[in-house]
Amino acid sequence: MSPRTGAPVADGVRLALLNSRLEGIVRKMANTLLRTGRSGVLNTARDFSCCIVTADCELLSAAESLPIHVLSGPDMMARSMKEFHPRLARGDAFLNNSPYHGCSHPADHTLLVPVIDEDGNHRFTVEAKAHQADIGNSIPTTYHGRARDVYEEGALIFPGVRIQRDYEDVEDVVRMCRMRIRVPDQWWGDYLAMLGAARIGERELLALGEEVGWDVLDAHARDWFDYSEHRMAEALSAVPSGTAERASTHDALPGFPPEGIEIRARVDVDGKAGRARIDLTDNPDALACGLNLSEACARTAAMLGVFNSIDHTVPKNAGSMRRIAVELRQNCVAGIPVHPTSCSAATTNIADRVANAVQAAFAVLADGAGMAECGASSPPASGVISGTDPRTGRPFVNQVFLGRSCGAAGPAADAWQTVGHVGNAGMCFIDSVELDELRFPLHIRARGFLPDTEAAGRTCGARIGYAIFGPRGGELDVIYNSDGNLHGPQGVRGGADGACSRQYVLNRDGREVEVPQFGRVTLREGEFMCSFSCGGGAYGPAFERPAEAVAKDVGQGFVSVERARSVYGVVTDEAGTIDAEATRLERARRESEGDGRDGS
Amino acid sequence: MRFAVDTGGTFTDLIVEDDGGVFSMFKAPTTPDDPIRGVLDSLDVAAGALGQSRRSLLGAGSLFIHGTTHAINAIVTGATARTVLITNEGHRDILVLREGGRMEPFNHTVPYPDPYIPRSLTFEVAGRILADASEIEPLDEAAMDVIAQRLAVLNVEAVAVCLLWSIVNPAHELKVAEILKARLPGVPVTLSHRLNPSLREYRRASSAAIDASLKPMMQAYIGTLEARLRDAGFAGRLLIVTSQGGVMDASDVADAPIHIVNSGPSMAPVAGRAYAALDEASDTAIIADTGGTTFDVSLVSGGSIPRTRETWIGQPFRGHMTGFPSVDVKSIGAGGGSIAWVDGGGLLHVGPQSAGADPGPACYAQGGTCPTVSDAALVLGYLDPRFFLGGRIGLDADAAREAISRDVCEPLGLAAEDAAAAILNIATENMVQAIADITVNQGIDPASAILIGGGGAAGLNSVQIARRLGCRRLLIPDVGAGLSAAGAMMSDLMSQLRRAHFAASAAFDFDGVNAVLDALEAACRAFADGPGAGSLDQSVELMAEARYPDQVWEIEVLLPVRRFAGPADVAALVEAFHQAHEDIFAIRDAHSGIEIMAWVATVRCRLRETVEPAGARAPSAPADDAYRSIHFLGHGRAEARVLRLEHMKIGEAVNGPAVIESPFTAIVVDPGATVVRRPSGSLSLAPGAALRAEGSA
Repeated sequence: MSPRTGAPVADGVRLALLNSRLEGIVRKMANTLLRTGRSGVLNTARDFSCCIVTADCELLSAAESLPIHVLSGPDMMARSMKEFHPRLARGDAFLNNSPYHGCSHPADHTLLVPVIDEDGNHRFTVEAKAHQADIGNSIPTTYHGRARDVYEEGALIFPGVRIQRDYEDVEDVVRMCRMRIRVPDQWWGDYLAMLGAARIGERELLALGEEVGWDVLDAHARDWFDYSEHRMAEALSAVPSGTAERASTHDALPGFPPEGIEIRARVDVDGKAGRARIDLTDNPDALACGLNLSEACARTAAMLGVFNSIDHTVPKNAGSMRRIAVELRQNCVAGIPVHPTSCSAATTNIADRVANAVQAAFAVLADGAGMAECGASSPPASGVISGTDPRTGRPFVNQVFLGRSCGAAGPAADAWQTVGHVGNAGMCFIDSVELDELRFPLHIRARGFLPDTEAAGRTCGARIGYAIFGPRGGELDVIYNSDGNLHGPQGVRGGADGACSRQYVLNRDGREVEVPQFGRVTLREGEFMCSFSCGGGAYGPAFERPAEAVAKDVGQGFVSVERARSVYGVVTDEAGTIDAEATRLERARRESEGDGRDGS
Repeated sequence: MRFAVDTGGTFTDLIVEDDGGVFSMFKAPTTPDDPIRGVLDSLDVAAGALGQSRRSLLGAGSLFIHGTTHAINAIVTGATARTVLITNEGHRDILVLREGGRMEPFNHTVPYPDPYIPRSLTFEVAGRILADASEIEPLDEAAMDVIAQRLAVLNVEAVAVCLLWSIVNPAHELKVAEILKARLPGVPVTLSHRLNPSLREYRRASSAAIDASLKPMMQAYIGTLEARLRDAGFAGRLLIVTSQGGVMDASDVADAPIHIVNSGPSMAPVAGRAYAALDEASDTAIIADTGGTTFDVSLVSGGSIPRTRETWIGQPFRGHMTGFPSVDVKSIGAGGGSIAWVDGGGLLHVGPQSAGADPGPACYAQGGTCPTVSDAALVLGYLDPRFFLGGRIGLDADAAREAISRDVCEPLGLAAEDAAAAILNIATENMVQAIADITVNQGIDPASAILIGGGGAAGLNSVQIARRLGCRRLLIPDVGAGLSAAGAMMSDLMSQLRRAHFAASAAFDFDGVNAVLDALEAACRAFADGPGAGSLDQSVELMAEARYPDQVWEIEVLLPVRRFAGPADVAALVEAFHQAHEDIFAIRDAHSGIEIMAWVATVRCRLRETVEPAGARAPSAPADDAYRSIHFLGHGRAEARVLRLEHMKIGEAVNGPAVIESPFTAIVVDPGATVVRRPSGSLSLAPGAALRAEGSA
């Protein structure tokens, strides 16, 4: 297919109508999950996804969700379900959280419900995946970065286990979860929320199949994949053909070589053919820690880097993905894990490095393509807090989202500040100070952005997001894996690198006390955790940034008058009024001195 | 005599109710440079039609109800006051951070939104209250005084104050207000705990910021409107339509203008509810208001006007939250002006881009060249080029055909009529999805609802929409093209009060909760005796905002009791919550307790004898008989009967294919559909057999 001919697909009208119906179904599933979930990671961070895959296990339609969740994985989990349970019946539901069977990481419990028509044929599978507040790990976090293997990690692993038959729970499995998972009522509430979402999806698909005919839906899926493939080919043809390689380095974990974990991605774009190939095989072997990627996360992170680099309206499904080849190898830190390799934190740390390297490589290929790097996750302000609430005597464990930034600049716009990390894309909500102080024994003293910390560029990367918080009336444990202390987000095409992350504790005397970069810290009353997230990389040279944009940041109080002049060559007063002539001279002088081309 | 005027984007709609309760509708063009002129123009049109002077018409009026988008327009165009936000030390970025979240996670072309109040005009003051109302740090009054002096120099026009936990202990906010009053006399101040006593600091701060920023201009607008109406001879009471589907005294709106920010689409559901009850004896209705650029849809279920607790100005996550509930109306970019286009993969789209009123659809021949829904309707024969808007605008059928041919026929290889039908089909599907979104989210099967078509473009495809949804009845009120103004005429004087007070079913705080309910009801009584004095009926509704423990999104539940006497009353509330949760989300956690975050009281004072209008005016002339060839979706060309709405007799049934025209709209009656005129003047349609969903273009 030649991408530029605009060859129309079978029936553009029917295609649009049915796609809209299917999108309506996944949206409804997602809304149910968001509104009924119990844990913060679900109802606040929106760390869940809902999708429909075909009977052939191809991703057809997904609700808008965290990108790292859904591009690849639903297909593999559906295949596992069919392999392990060749006879599927209406009323079945299966639980999968196995990184060895298509799940992203063990914290992401996934319910798969096969949609079975009146004649007993398996037509589609609906999936609802939700990050749990706890999964019974050996320590109270769902991101056990230091776990040597899945045994030390400690999660219960469900490789596609039947959890409902005839619409009734398999109580054995429920009891196992209740015996192992901390705050089991919270898990139960989230399970109900997932079940509600999956069953609503099933009900709606059955009604749709009944109404329009299953054959029509099958034909639609074929046409929709073709259409999406065509759109992808067209988008890739807008990028010049070529090869680019970028590396992005994860900070060293304690006990590992100090140079850190360098992740390399090679991107080959064949614009004429409308194809891209991402090679991740030139990366270290799997490590004895929890950062290894699952296959689902390795593929998704690579594709996320591609989708971030092109026309955002290209549909995300098995059709468009036909044009992206992802090369992985077995037993690689960013590849295909072999049991018992731990993938506890597979959705964040290394996955972010993969996606960042891919999108930065696209930026190497052409000005106008790709993006800079997003900041690394996750500072203590996005950690898991736990303890006993002195007001009630009840234990609590939950992930908080008090504030982080990390957004990367793209060619068209400054960073979306609150991206969180590249795999989240800013979908996460930020906790209300009042709501958190009500729910947990917390005092959130300050949070926001640090001025003058943005990455300077034609378009700018995010400034640092910070939060200062501590316990009220007792002790508070905070567990976090704060990557990016040393290796901050890199800029592209002459844009500056973003700020590095940082964390320390303010003790009762007001002194700053060093704390580990990856770890568990117990705060006593009067002590405060000070969490500073990474910023994000910039795109293009700072001296090409429109003076009006610099002046606007000055007017808002995000960039100082001094920085505007020294970094951007823009002369302005505190209110953001530009001195046009002085700016012209300043920029011309810097230009002639060859200064400021890397914008820092 | 009563007047209701709704100032819309294109037209200012006026409904005049005579003393017999009969509604008459009039329209004048909206005048954006001076919207009050458009209001007076609409009164001129009415006076002319009713054969009297504007002064004598207004002089006979007891009530003037006004719906205005003046406040939201000021926000959108940046014409609000220079406003400062005062907040806690360490929390200056409250309006920058918002509550996080994003739409379109792969779209990196949309920049991070600016805060409602620039960071440079946001000031921090030391002092902190905690959740239990204790003060861990006193307010730094001296520093606050220095800030206040600085504001005087900065020519600040309004101030918003939002401090953490002011809802449980307002001492610091009150002190800040005192200092501001001393240093900035005459500058309006909004305190968050007074305006919107609810949990979640961003929402409260945003409420206060928006409210303060609107005060100077809305006080001026309302003052001028009142003066010009008085000059023109009106001596009655002036009420303003609110975002919650009620009305408030103009002076109260001037004091808290945030209450009218989203009032634009709030009245169509009020009117829709009344017509569904009057014409079809139904308490479940989908109200779809189709204008030139937007399609506003809402669902009345069990007779109640739908409300959302999250109201955005602009797009979710890219705009600003008002922090107040409002009538739950979903708006999508679909209407007569929606543009049809084909993407690189050969997929046909309709909207969300719109040709608007300027340049307008290609057929307006005012410079528009893009094919729109109106152009498609013209090609299909739905619109009469000589009788569009009663003949006020001539339509150019060749221009419509040419635009569709170039942008749709060629890339898709379709004939002109098939392309036009496809455009209508896609527009219909977009609208159906919008309706499906709001109905399924609330657990309502659209097939059980009456579909109410409002707005000038509703008649083009409402039968098709009704068929797709399986609705048994489609209703197009006589005043459908001015549904918002009609709703304003029917609405109640309303006030809503909220108190944040935490309670859990497991350890229920009987005395505390009952005291909160006492205070809320007392405040409602004061409202009923004050602004509501002389109203025909007063009612108070009590609700809890509740959730399962560890959920963060509350839902509203009507209290099954007025006060909580014992465990049985609490159990009744818990059961009501389970039921509501199951209705909305298909699941209940039967063994779980619940938590109540806030208590809400709504007082309504009825201003009309009956909710419904009294009926239609008599047909003005005997029915005439004309026919025209029309292409119906899924059917093809047919000779359709053409009738004038004002000639249709009450009870007269007409079978499709037909088209019914009025000076304001055209209503397509597809083959298989039947229409009858109700005593109220409404057209009631039986849509007939539904076609299969894949549609046939």
